[in-house]
Amino acid sequence: MGYIVPIKELGESPLVDPKISLHEVTDVVAKVTENKAPRGWWFAFLFAASFTGILGIAVGVLFWYGVGVWGNNSPSYWAWDITNFVWWIGIGHAGTLISAVLFLFRQKWRTAINRFSEAMTIFAVMCAGMYPGLHVGRAWYAYYMFPIPNQMSLWPNFKSPLMWDIFAVSTYFTVSLLFWYVGLIPDFATLRDRAKTAVRRKVYAFFALGWLGSNRHWQNYERAYLILAAFSTPLVLSVHSVVSFDFATSVIPGWHTTIFPPYFVAGAVFSGFAMVMTLMLITRAVYGVKSIVTMKHLELMNKIMLTTGSLVGYAYGMEFFLAWYSGNDYEWFTFVNRATGPYAWAYWTMISCNVITPQIFWFKKMRTSIPVMFVASILINIGMWFERFVIIVTSLHRDFIPSSWGYFRPTIVDVLTYMGTLGFFFTAFLLFIRWIPMIAIAEVKGTLPSADPHFGHAHADHGDENHDTEAAPDAALAPGE
Amino acid sequence: MSKRDAYEFAKPREAAPLFWKSLEAKAKPDEAKKRAEAEFPFNLTKDDESVGPVGRRNFMMFAGLTAAIAGLEGCARRPVEKIVPYTRMPEYALPGLSYHYATVRYERGEAIGLLVETHEGRPTKIEGNPDHPSSLGATDVRTQASIFDLYDPDRSTQVKHKSGAALEASNLADFDAWLAGKVKAYAADQGAKLRILSPPTNSPTFIRLREAIRAKLPHARFHTFTAVGESNAREGARIAFGQAVNTINDYQHAKVILSLDSDFLQTEPGMIRATRQFARGRRLNTPNEPISRLYVVEPSYTTTGANADHRLRLPARDVERYLAALATELATKHGLSLGAIAVPLAALGAKIDGVPEKWVKVVAAELAGAKNRSVITVGSRQPARVHAIAHALNAALGNAGQTVQHFPVTDPEETEHVADLKALLSDLDGKRVETLIVLGGNPVYDVPVDLKFAERLASSGATLVQLSSHADETTAKAGWHVPLAHEYETWGDQRALDGTYSVQQPLMAPLHGGVSPIEILGRIAGEDSNGYHLVQGTLRASYPQPLTLDREWKKALQRGVVTGAVTRPFPAMAVREADVAAAAAQGKPGKALGADNLEINFAPDPKLLDGRHANNAWLLELPDPMTKIVWDNAAYFSPTTAAALGVAIGDVVEITREGAKLEIAAWILPGHADNSITLHLGWGRTRAGRFGGEEDERDWGKALDTYPITQKLPLNGKMRGFNVATLRTSDALGFGDGAKVTKTGKTYLLAQTQEHHSMEGRPVAIDATLAEYKQTPSFPQYRTPDPKTLPLWTPVDYTKGHRWGMSIDLNACTGCNACVVACQSENNIPVVGKDQVQRGREMHWIRIDRYYRNAYTNQKDEHLDEKDPLVSVQPVACVQCEDAPCENVCPVNATEHSPEGLNDMAYNRCIGTRYCANNCPYKVRRFNYLEFQGEPMYGDMPEVSKMAHNPNVTVRMRGVMEKCTYCVQRIQEGKIGAKRDARPLKDGDITTACAQACPAEAIVFGDLNDPTARVSRAQKRDRGYRLLSELGTRPRTTHLAKIRNPNPEMV
Repeated sequence: MGYIVPIKELGESPLVDPKISLHEVTDVVAKVTENKAPRGWWFAFLFAASFTGILGIAVGVLFWYGVGVWGNNSPSYWAWDITNFVWWIGIGHAGTLISAVLFLFRQKWRTAINRFSEAMTIFAVMCAGMYPGLHVGRAWYAYYMFPIPNQMSLWPNFKSPLMWDIFAVSTYFTVSLLFWYVGLIPDFATLRDRAKTAVRRKVYAFFALGWLGSNRHWQNYERAYLILAAFSTPLVLSVHSVVSFDFATSVIPGWHTTIFPPYFVAGAVFSGFAMVMTLMLITRAVYGVKSIVTMKHLELMNKIMLTTGSLVGYAYGMEFFLAWYSGNDYEWFTFVNRATGPYAWAYWTMISCNVITPQIFWFKKMRTSIPVMFVASILINIGMWFERFVIIVTSLHRDFIPSSWGYFRPTIVDVLTYMGTLGFFFTAFLLFIRWIPMIAIAEVKGTLPSADPHFGHAHADHGDENHDTEAAPDAALAPGE
Repeated sequence: MSKRDAYEFAKPREAAPLFWKSLEAKAKPDEAKKRAEAEFPFNLTKDDESVGPVGRRNFMMFAGLTAAIAGLEGCARRPVEKIVPYTRMPEYALPGLSYHYATVRYERGEAIGLLVETHEGRPTKIEGNPDHPSSLGATDVRTQASIFDLYDPDRSTQVKHKSGAALEASNLADFDAWLAGKVKAYAADQGAKLRILSPPTNSPTFIRLREAIRAKLPHARFHTFTAVGESNAREGARIAFGQAVNTINDYQHAKVILSLDSDFLQTEPGMIRATRQFARGRRLNTPNEPISRLYVVEPSYTTTGANADHRLRLPARDVERYLAALATELATKHGLSLGAIAVPLAALGAKIDGVPEKWVKVVAAELAGAKNRSVITVGSRQPARVHAIAHALNAALGNAGQTVQHFPVTDPEETEHVADLKALLSDLDGKRVETLIVLGGNPVYDVPVDLKFAERLASSGATLVQLSSHADETTAKAGWHVPLAHEYETWGDQRALDGTYSVQQPLMAPLHGGVSPIEILGRIAGEDSNGYHLVQGTLRASYPQPLTLDREWKKALQRGVVTGAVTRPFPAMAVREADVAAAAAQGKPGKALGADNLEINFAPDPKLLDGRHANNAWLLELPDPMTKIVWDNAAYFSPTTAAALGVAIGDVVEITREGAKLEIAAWILPGHADNSITLHLGWGRTRAGRFGGEEDERDWGKALDTYPITQKLPLNGKMRGFNVATLRTSDALGFGDGAKVTKTGKTYLLAQTQEHHSMEGRPVAIDATLAEYKQTPSFPQYRTPDPKTLPLWTPVDYTKGHRWGMSIDLNACTGCNACVVACQSENNIPVVGKDQVQRGREMHWIRIDRYYRNAYTNQKDEHLDEKDPLVSVQPVACVQCEDAPCENVCPVNATEHSPEGLNDMAYNRCIGTRYCANNCPYKVRRFNYLEFQGEPMYGDMPEVSKMAHNPNVTVRMRGVMEKCTYCVQRIQEGKIGAKRDARPLKDGDITTACAQACPAEAIVFGDLNDPTARVSRAQKRDRGYRLLSELGTRPRTTHLAKIRNPNPEMV
C-alpha cells in the first residue's frame, strides 16, 4: 500500500482515494453496468417506473379533459405547471455548472461527479421540457410555438419571453446532450472492450463511434470537449436568466423585478447541487463508489450550496427591501402578502428551507456529516420548489384589482403529474446507472497519481503534512490498464 | 376516371389562321404561337404524361390524395357541422343577415317592449325597443336571459294526462276534446264548478276573454295569485284613492328620493325606466349641475341601497314606523297638512330603535324643501297601509301628478292575492270545484305553506289543469298538463304600467307545440284557439274598420307600440284621509326584536324572481348583485346578529316561525339590518330542470381537493339553493317577526365570483362626494397618472380611421347586471357550474365588481366598518389597452392589435399558454379550462340550446383564451351596413351588447376619432380616469368616477 506523490493543487488533498488503482477505477465503475442489477435497483426501478406510468395516466386525463383538471384558476393561470417547469430547469443547472464551468476552471474534483450530474441535467431538462407542452390548453397545437414556415406566413411572437424560453431550453438540452455524449465516448469504448456478449459489444461499439484511444482520438476529443464546455458555460447563466424573463418582463407585482436573472441563476445552481447531493449520497451508498466520490467532494459541494443559498437569501431580502424602497403600493403589498397573507406558510417554508438550512454548513462537522447533508439537500429541494411556487402563485393570486383575487388549490392531478415527472426522472436515472458508466472513468483516471507524468519518480514533498504517504514504495503501485 | 382519349377538335391549318386574335397574330402566326407557348409551356389539350411534370390525371390523383390526407386533419378536435340549405327560400330573408322584430314581454306587472334579433328565423338576442316607454331601448337581467328560457332543454314538450296514478303522454287534440266536453257540460250550471287561477295579467285580450267566458259561464270564477306581486301596492292605492292605480315615479326630475324598502332599481316593476330616469337625474357633465339625492331605508342591502347617498338599515317591519315618524315631523315642523292621518301616525312614529334622530329631522326638512320635486316610494312587500300613507304624503308634498304619477291599471279586478287564494281554497274544501285551470304559475311550490294548497287540492278531488312551461312541482298534482308556449312563440298583447299597448308578436312557431293562456281562454270562451285571431279581436274593438285595423296592426307589429291607444295619467287624485287614517291606525309597534324574536323578510331574488326562471343557467350563474353568490341563495344576517347567534358564513341554520321550518345556509351581509334575516325566493326547486334542480336531494358542495372527474359538472340535477317558501306563511308574505334560529352543525359551500370586498385603498372604483368633486373636478386622474417613461415600441398612429373606445360612468351604473347577461347572450359565453366558479373559472367577459367602503369618514378602507358600509360597483371588461401587456407575451401571436386599436383574439391561433391572462392587470381574460360547451365533462349540448348561439361569434373550444372584443362582430356588421348604404359611419350605428342593454346609459361606445361622438364627449369629462393607467397600458375604456351626494347635515 502506498503511492508516490499525487497530482495536487496547492493545499489540496487527494481527490480520490489515493490507494485506488487505474484498473480498480475501471472495474468499480464498469462492474455496475456489467453485473446483475442488485435487488435494490429493481425495487427502485419498479417504483420509479410505476410513477412514470402514473405520469402517463395524469397526462392522459389532462389531454382528455383539459387543463381544468389542474387547480389553475383565474387569477392564478399558472401554478404547479410552471413551478415544476422552473424547478426542473433549475435542477439541471448544477450539471452544466459542474461539467462545463468547473472544467474550464480546472476544478479537477468535478471528475467524480460530472457524469452523474450531467445525466441529471439531461433528465431534469426532459422533465422541464414536458411542461411547456403539457400546460397549454391545446397541446396538439403546441408546435405553433416553433418557428415553422407555413403558408399563412404566421410566425411566433419573438417579443414573447415564452418564445425565448423555447429557444433557451431547446438549446440547453441539445448542448447538454452533446456534451454528455462526447464525454461518454471513451467510456463506451471501455465497456465495449470489456463486453463479454456479442450484443453488448455491438451496442457499445455503436455508441463508442469507433474509439480506439489513439493519440489523435484523444487530441480531437479533448478539443471537442473544451469547445463544448465553452458553449455550455454561458448557458448556465443564460438559460435561467431567460426563464426568469418570463416573470421579470411582465407587469405583475412580484414578477416585475430586475433582480430576477442573477437570483434565478443562483437559485438554479443551489437547487441543482442539492439534487446532485441527494442522488449522489444514495448512489454512493448503494454502489460503493465511496473511494471515488469522497467526503472531499461532498464537502466542496456543501460549500457551494452554502454560497448559493446565501446568495438566494440575499436576493429574498433585497426583493423585500426594494419593494418597500420603490414606494410602489402594489409591489409592497405583494411582498407583505407573501409573508403574511394566505400563502405565508409557503413563504416561510421557503425561507426556512433555503435560507436557514444551508447556514449549518458553516460548521465543518455538519458539512462532513452524511445524514445532515442528506436531510439538508432534501430540504433545499423542497425549499427551492416552494421558491418557484411563491414567486408564481403568491404574485398572481393577489395582483392589482382586489375583486379578482383568489386562492389556488392543487388537485390530485396536479400532484400526480408532478410525482409522475419525478418518477420519469428516477426511471431515466436508474436506467442510466444500470447501462452507462455513472462516473467518468477516463476523467477520474486523469486525477489519479498514476496519471501524473512524473509518476514513479520520487519527488520532494509538497509540504502537505496531512498526508504522510509520499514515502510509499513504487512497487506498491497497481498497474494501469 | 376514364382513360379514353379526349375528344379532339379538327386542327385548323397552321399556315393560314382562320381565327386570329389580333392583327399581329394574323400577320406573324409563328411568332404569336411562340409567344403563346412561352406563356403556356404545356399543351393543355393533350392528356398524357409527356406534356409536363404532372399530367391532368395525375394532378387529379394527387389532389385527391391530398384531400384524403387532409381528411386526417379530422383527428384534431373539431366539431362536425352540417349545413342544411333552404329548399324553399323564404322571401326577404337573406341568410347571414339578422332581422329585428318588435314584441313585448311580461316582467312583474310591467310590459317591456323589445326588439328581438333573429337569424334565419331563430331568435338569438333580446334588445330593448327604444319606442317603448318601459324599455327605452334598454333591458333588464331577466329579459336578456329570456333567450335561455326559450331554448331551455328541459321545457315541457308534451301534453300529459293523468289516468290512474301516473301522468301519461297525451296530445293537444285529446285535451281540446276533453276541455270542449267540460265546457259543454258546465253550461248546465253556468260554470259553477270551474275555477281559473292565473298570475296577474296586463293583457287586454286576457281580460276580454275573461268577460266572454263570464258571459257564457257566469258562475265560473277567476282567481289571481303570484308569489311576487303588487297586491299590497294596489290595495294601498285602493285605500288612498278608492281604486287601484299603477304608480310611476319620475326619478329624473325628483330632487329628493326616499325609498322605503323599495328596490326600485332592481326587482320592483318598471325597473328599466326607473334606472334610466334615476341615472339621468344624477348625470353630471360639469361639477355645478344639480343632482338628486337618494335616501334608502331597507333591511337587506339591495342594488337600490347600493346607490343611496344615505342608507338606513332597518328591519322591514319598522319601516312603517319610520314613515310615521317622518310624516309626523313633516306635519308638525313643516306644516304639512295630513288631516286625520296625522293622529294615528303620531302614536306609531314615536321613538323607534335604530333610527337616529337626524334621519327623521333632516329627511323631513329635505322633503319639505323639495315640494313637487320629491318621491316617496314604498316597496311592494310593505303592507297596503304603508303604501296608502306614502300616497297621502306624496299628495301632501305636491308630488302627485308631478314626480309621482298614477295610471289606470289594466286589470282593475285583481284583488289581494292571499284573500283571493283563500276564497279559492275554501271552495276547494267545500268541494265546489270540479276543474281548476292554472294558467301559468307554480302554486304547489309558491303558495304560502300554511294554506296547504297541494293537500287541499288533493282532498277536494278537483281536476287540476295546468298550463306551464316545465313539468314542475305542480305538474305532479295535475290531471292535465299542457306545455305553455314561450312569449316569443305566441301571439298576445300587453299594456305597460303607463297603459302603452303593445302586440306580442311571435318570433317563431312554438318549438314544443305549446299554447298560450289566451289560447286556453279562447277555447273555453268558444271563440278561437288561435292567438293571432284573439289579439286581433281585441284590437277590433278600437278599430272596427277592417282597413284601419289592418293598418294599425301592421304599425303595431312594426314599431312594437300602438300609438293610437295611449292612456293619460290621472290628474292629482284626492286622498281619502279617513280611510288612510283608519288603515294607519292598524299599524302597531311589535315586540322588540332580538335573538329570540328575529324578523324574516322575503325578497324576490334579483335573478330568479319567484323561481319562474329557476332553470335558467345564465341567471343561476349570474352573481348576486350584492353578495356575488352564484348557483345558490342564502339567509342574509347582519354581522352583529350573526355574531350574537354564533353563526358563520356557510353554517346551515334552521329558522323556525309559526311552526314552519327551513334549513338554509347562512351568509353575513355587511350593512344588513340587525335582528332581521333576508331570504330570497325562487330557489330550492325540485322539478325545475337539469340546471335548477330536478331532484329532492341537495348538492352540498364538494371539498375542492376531491376532484369529480366523471361528474357531469353543472348538470347534476341536484337542488340549487334553499326553498324559502317552506317558511312563508300567508301572514308573512313580505316579512314577519317571531322567528328563531338554531344552528344545525352542518355547513354548506357557497360559491362566489368575488371573494375580496375591500379596495385596499387602491384607486380602482374611484368616488368622491359632490363637494369634493366641486373642489377638485379632475380628482380621479391624480391617482391614475400616465407614466412618463418612453414607450417600448414606436406608438401606433390611431388618428386615422376608427378608434373605438368606451366610457363607463360609475355615477350612472347601478350594478343591475343586465350588461353581464347581455354579453353572455351576444358572445356565446358558456356557463361553467358552481364547482368551477368555486375554482375561480367563471367566464363572464364583463363583470361588475362590488366593493364595500367606509361611509363618509376618513377611515381607511382596510379597516372596514362591516356594520354599515357604502358600496361601490364597477363594471370591468377588457379595457382594450393600446399598449396591451397581454399582446407582448403571447408566444404564438394569438392576441394582436387591430388597426382600429382593438385588442383582438385569434381563437384559431390560441394554444392556451395563459400567459396573456397572467399579465393582464385587469384580469379580464377568461380561459376555457374545460370543454364548457360540450363533452367530455359537460355532456353534449342539446341541439335546442345551441339555437341560442349568435352565429356571428365563434363558440370557443377548451384550451382557448377569450375576452371582451368590444363586440367586434357588431363593429363589422355596422361597418358593412354603412358601406352597403354608401355613407360614413355615424355615432350610434354601432354599439356593444353591454352598452345597448344598460338601462342606466352608463356604458357608451363609439369612435374616439369622431369628436362629436357621445363616447368622445364622455371621455373628456373631468371625472374620467383610466383604470391602472399608471402602468402605461393606455386603456381605451375610460371610467367616470362616481359622485355621491351626501347631505352635509347627515354626515
